[in-house]
Amino acid sequence: MSHLRDKYCIVGVGETEYSRGSNRSTRAMAVEAVRKAILDAGLTAADVDGMMDYQSGDSTLAPHVAPDLGIRLNFYMDVVGGGSSTEALVGLAMGAIEAGMCRTVAIYRSMNGYSEFRIGGTGARAAQPVRGLDLAQVPFGMRSAGQNFALTFMRHMYDYGTTSEQVAHVKVAHSKHASQNPKALLKERVTVQDVVGSRWIVKPLHLLDCCLETDNATCIIVTSAERARNCRQRPVYIMGVAGRVSKPRLDFHWAHGPISRVAGYYAKDIVFGQAGIGPDDVHVTGSYDAFTFTTMLQLEEYGFCKKGEGGAYVSSGVIELGGRRPNNTAGGHLCEGYTHGMSMVIENVRQLRGRVDDYCPGAAEGQHTYDYSVGRCRQVKDAEITMNLGWAMPPLGSALIMRR
Amino acid sequence: MPQPVSYRGMTLLVPDNDSEWAEYFAHARAHTLMMRACTACGLMRYPPTHACPWCMDLGWRWQEVSGRGTIHSYEIVAHAIQPGFKELTPYPVVLVELDEQRGRPTPDEALRIIANLVKDDLSPEAEARVAIGARVKVVFQDLADHFALPQFTLGGEPPVGRVWRLGG
Ligand SMILES: [Zn+2]
Repeated sequence: MSHLRDKYCIVGVGETEYSRGSNRSTRAMAVEAVRKAILDAGLTAADVDGMMDYQSGDSTLAPHVAPDLGIRLNFYMDVVGGGSSTEALVGLAMGAIEAGMCRTVAIYRSMNGYSEFRIGGTGARAAQPVRGLDLAQVPFGMRSAGQNFALTFMRHMYDYGTTSEQVAHVKVAHSKHASQNPKALLKERVTVQDVVGSRWIVKPLHLLDCCLETDNATCIIVTSAERARNCRQRPVYIMGVAGRVSKPRLDFHWAHGPISRVAGYYAKDIVFGQAGIGPDDVHVTGSYDAFTFTTMLQLEEYGFCKKGEGGAYVSSGVIELGGRRPNNTAGGHLCEGYTHGMSMVIENVRQLRGRVDDYCPGAAEGQHTYDYSVGRCRQVKDAEITMNLGWAMPPLGSALIMRR
Repeated sequence: MPQPVSYRGMTLLVPDNDSEWAEYFAHARAHTLMMRACTACGLMRYPPTHACPWCMDLGWRWQEVSGRGTIHSYEIVAHAIQPGFKELTPYPVVLVELDEQRGRPTPDEALRIIANLVKDDLSPEAEARVAIGARVKVVFQDLADHFALPQFTLGGEPPVGRVWRLGG
């Protein structure tokens, strides 16, 4: 068990609209998201003295965002990275505060992932020269995330008999959740047949196995448990965190098999060890859904089912609202919109507060109906412990366990 | 400094100081598939890097491999991201496990490389002929005086282990 368990909290969360055409800068969006998170926490600009963000040459930097809001920083760090950064930065924020460098850290991600730097790899990204390690795969027509991950998914089907229909249930579940989320880009519920009947992108991925490129900014505020007690919201305690845990040969992970194994295999003992709990103790998961397969692979690797049984697990109903352990209750990257992992942590914070922003008239006061039919409620009753399974690539992941 | 290589709308840059890849692709242009082998422990590695991942020794030499292997996994790209690949769709990308050093130094490790599965004329192989377990052999696609891409064709040998393809 970690000596930092329960000593740090997430006290504020904020996000901009999920859109496919923000018509504004990543700086403008970041400022809005950070401001919302500060107000959500009941803090002021003077209370925030740390800032971290992540980007891949596609976003604004902390030295621009902080002064726009009148925040004077004692610490900041602009990190290069994509998926799996969220949980890692939460851990680093704890470290920065623990080291005495600052007191309260705002973590943000701001991206015009649809209208400017297409996250799927088309447009400006596809036109970049190819050099170094990229020569090992890009000249073979393998550049997008889907193309990079499909070999892993295909081998999992070979190794374990996983089917397209089984993993389609991830999209079905997340679409059910998105239908309870006024913010979601795709609110329509879909069926397994819709998924496997959609056009092929890169076999074994159909169009509806893939997430939604989105314009959006998000923010999470981390501070000590002591300060959290004076914040506006019920504190959400950090029990354990693992950041950017990798398989061997992160650059070319296919060298070390089994290639159907993902980084959660290495991360699970760190994060569960810190938290002092196991998978059975978790009530809600947020498993990164860049693709249907990524959610399935992580749930099995972290021990929510046996390795190889992820297909059966995700198609059993357990990951749906009303099931034993719902996953991505806001609809995730497949349906709510793509945020590089931030929104799944934000949703779990709201679940633990008992204050998800669904269609329940009393949602803001924590009055929920627990009626999971279309256009109603998505609050999980008495959610006490949540877990986020962050994904960047098959060989790279992060994880975060929180409690109320 | 060699000229950049233009291929399917992409610019491939292999400057002389690319100490990982320049010689690898020059060997490919001479139609030999070379791996770096550690001069201390003898194990080969891919990608062609500067230290041995198993013993950390810095000594290495190029070692030719047979270019024969087995498809370990594959994908079929139906929706190309790169504009120059749209006319090739659907095209297969394969992860080839080379015959040399399979299961060494641990059972799950091997020399695996990525390529397209192509016909003799270097056009994409038909999807119905792509399968995990299928035997393949290297061919070289010459793109410049100093650069060729190692690609793979079906080898005509009986498959290894269980043969499987999606939907088949
Ligand atoms: Zn060695």
